[in-house]
Amino acid sequence: MKLSNLKGCAAYMALGLGVALSASAASAEDAPSWCGPNKASLALLDGFGGNSWRLVTTASGKEEAAKCPSITDYYYADGQGDTQKAISDINSMAARGVDAMVVFGDAGPAILPALTKAYRSGAVVVPYRVNVGGEAGKNYTRFVGADFVYDGESWGKWIKENFPDGANILFLSGPAGNSQGLDELKGMKNILDDSYKFLNPAPFAVTNWDPSLTQQVLSAAIAQHDNIDVIVSDFGPSLVGALPVFANFDRSIPAIATSDGNSLGCFWEKVHADNPGFKLFTVATGNDNVRLAVQWAIAEATGGTPPSEEVFKAPNFEDSTDGDPNPVQCRSDLPGAIYLSAQLSGDEQAKAVGQ
Amino acid sequence: MAETTPHSFEGPTGLMSMPLSKGFVTIVASTLALILLCVIFAPSAVTAGSLMGSLPFAAVLGIVGLGQMLVVQQGGFDLSVPGSVSLAVVIATHMPNGQDAGLLPALVIAVGFALAAGTLNGIMVAYFRLNAIVATIGMNALLFSAVFAISGGVPRITTNLLAHIAGGQTLGIPHSVLFALAILALVSFGLKKTVAGRRFEAIGANPAAARAAGLSVKPYQAMAYVAAQILYCTAGILIAGITREPTAFQGNSLLLPSVAVVVLAGTSLLGGRGFPISVVIAAFFLNQLSQFALSIGVPYSAQTIVQALALVFGIGVYSIEWTNRFKTEQTSSTEEENHETV
Repeated sequence: MKLSNLKGCAAYMALGLGVALSASAASAEDAPSWCGPNKASLALLDGFGGNSWRLVTTASGKEEAAKCPSITDYYYADGQGDTQKAISDINSMAARGVDAMVVFGDAGPAILPALTKAYRSGAVVVPYRVNVGGEAGKNYTRFVGADFVYDGESWGKWIKENFPDGANILFLSGPAGNSQGLDELKGMKNILDDSYKFLNPAPFAVTNWDPSLTQQVLSAAIAQHDNIDVIVSDFGPSLVGALPVFANFDRSIPAIATSDGNSLGCFWEKVHADNPGFKLFTVATGNDNVRLAVQWAIAEATGGTPPSEEVFKAPNFEDSTDGDPNPVQCRSDLPGAIYLSAQLSGDEQAKAVGQ
Repeated sequence: MAETTPHSFEGPTGLMSMPLSKGFVTIVASTLALILLCVIFAPSAVTAGSLMGSLPFAAVLGIVGLGQMLVVQQGGFDLSVPGSVSLAVVIATHMPNGQDAGLLPALVIAVGFALAAGTLNGIMVAYFRLNAIVATIGMNALLFSAVFAISGGVPRITTNLLAHIAGGQTLGIPHSVLFALAILALVSFGLKKTVAGRRFEAIGANPAAARAAGLSVKPYQAMAYVAAQILYCTAGILIAGITREPTAFQGNSLLLPSVAVVVLAGTSLLGGRGFPISVVIAAFFLNQLSQFALSIGVPYSAQTIVQALALVFGIGVYSIEWTNRFKTEQTSSTEEENHETV
């Protein structure tokens, strides 16, 4: 009798404990594991904030920070493409006593001294995406890079799958010598053997990611090579103005491996019926890189558990051949200059780019 | 009266008394040589399809070049090209927001901005005697602030109507080329066949003499900036149509080429005669030169060098008195070498 009483009591307690545990688990779900209990302020510093990609990224960073109730203040500063301003933004955030900074270091190593100073004054400093030189633990807390080699490998795998016997590839990237393009090329070469020929001058055709230059480079390339099987570009939406050039040559748009953009998806929907060779494969354009950086900064500043990943790997997003992971996406009711691969909802993005 | 002006101020070389200007002959010869080079070494650069892709950009550059030419004719420089072209792109894409109905008001507003910017430039330079470079670089900053104010740096996608008007083709000819030719005809007629145009050139060649002859100099000098802005604005609207998804900074890459085509066309940087046809041919030349460089597949660095050499060639031909040099030094090979650099 006694024993069973005890048993009943224990069962009752266990039940209560279970309820308590599940309740605390629920609150932990509200605040993600990277969000610790210590209060902190956070600043997001952009080197250049004036295009749609950056606006979506900024909004994504803000949304991510808002998930953590320990963040008391949130600041944003835009360097407007001016290295001096970017440096003074960092200095002024440090002087204001901001606990954590997430920095898009467009100016590269030029901002390292300012980052180092902020780090030594006790702030958590997380540069992301663009390499600023220096070392983690000495100049800043941690660098959350993007793995562009991985992007190149994703494209390479898709090309290999769709053109198993080799292919002629035209690879377009941004300004001459940019490390993103070089890394992507390395990734593709990791997957593709010599039966895959690059038609562009090594390492890539220079477009400065400028749509009008892209259009000129592409029309020259189309005229020169009548056997382009695949176009690889690390900025998909900049192709939209240039692809109709193929019609001038009475040729189908070839297969394209690139990064996503709403305008590109909608362009594919509109023209793929007339262009039988136009297969489209995209990887996420990487707006969510900022989320990982924000998670790291908040985890370090608030005493949370840091995320397991240190480098952002862009997931595959669209594949017109097998719909894995998604068929081509188009939201024609939303502006072209948004990125449906981003976690931020399409409508939120439209708001972020002011449309 | 004005007809005699070019002769009076060009010095005794006798070249200007030739029926065709030196600039025209040189740029046509260079262009033909370049086309020949393309046919031999890079036939793909002169195929119809390739030209369809690249000619619209030559047309845009030609229009911007004509604007810059007007300013250079008055001895000035217009560094507000990037700002005004970018502003026109942004207004033409942002305000209609993809709706064809909104296009006309947007274009009117774009022209309004261009008129305001041109008038301000003209007043600063002609009436307040500000240095043209300083005044227009300030204007450029002002225009870019308007670009940011309107768009936040994000232009929208072109409306279908504008894409059709600027980017379409009629009888296989890109519309932008037709626009460039029409504007060329207008500028040529205005400069060469109207009283105002003749006075404009005379004033550019020698403002002091023009003033002594009783012309009111300042309004003409100011008008150069206004007309130039209108042309930049037109070019910006065309870019918005040609590039379906332009950036907000589309004008940035046009500043240097705009000066280059004016120089290649033989316009004196000290002011004076303008050569509208040569400017447009020079725009085609420069554009074809980059297509040539792209087609022979040289690395990007070499492309840039080729374009720089073309500029050096242009300045070399016009800025140095080769005829006098031949007389004194007998080094006729120098010019030959310069010709070969292209």
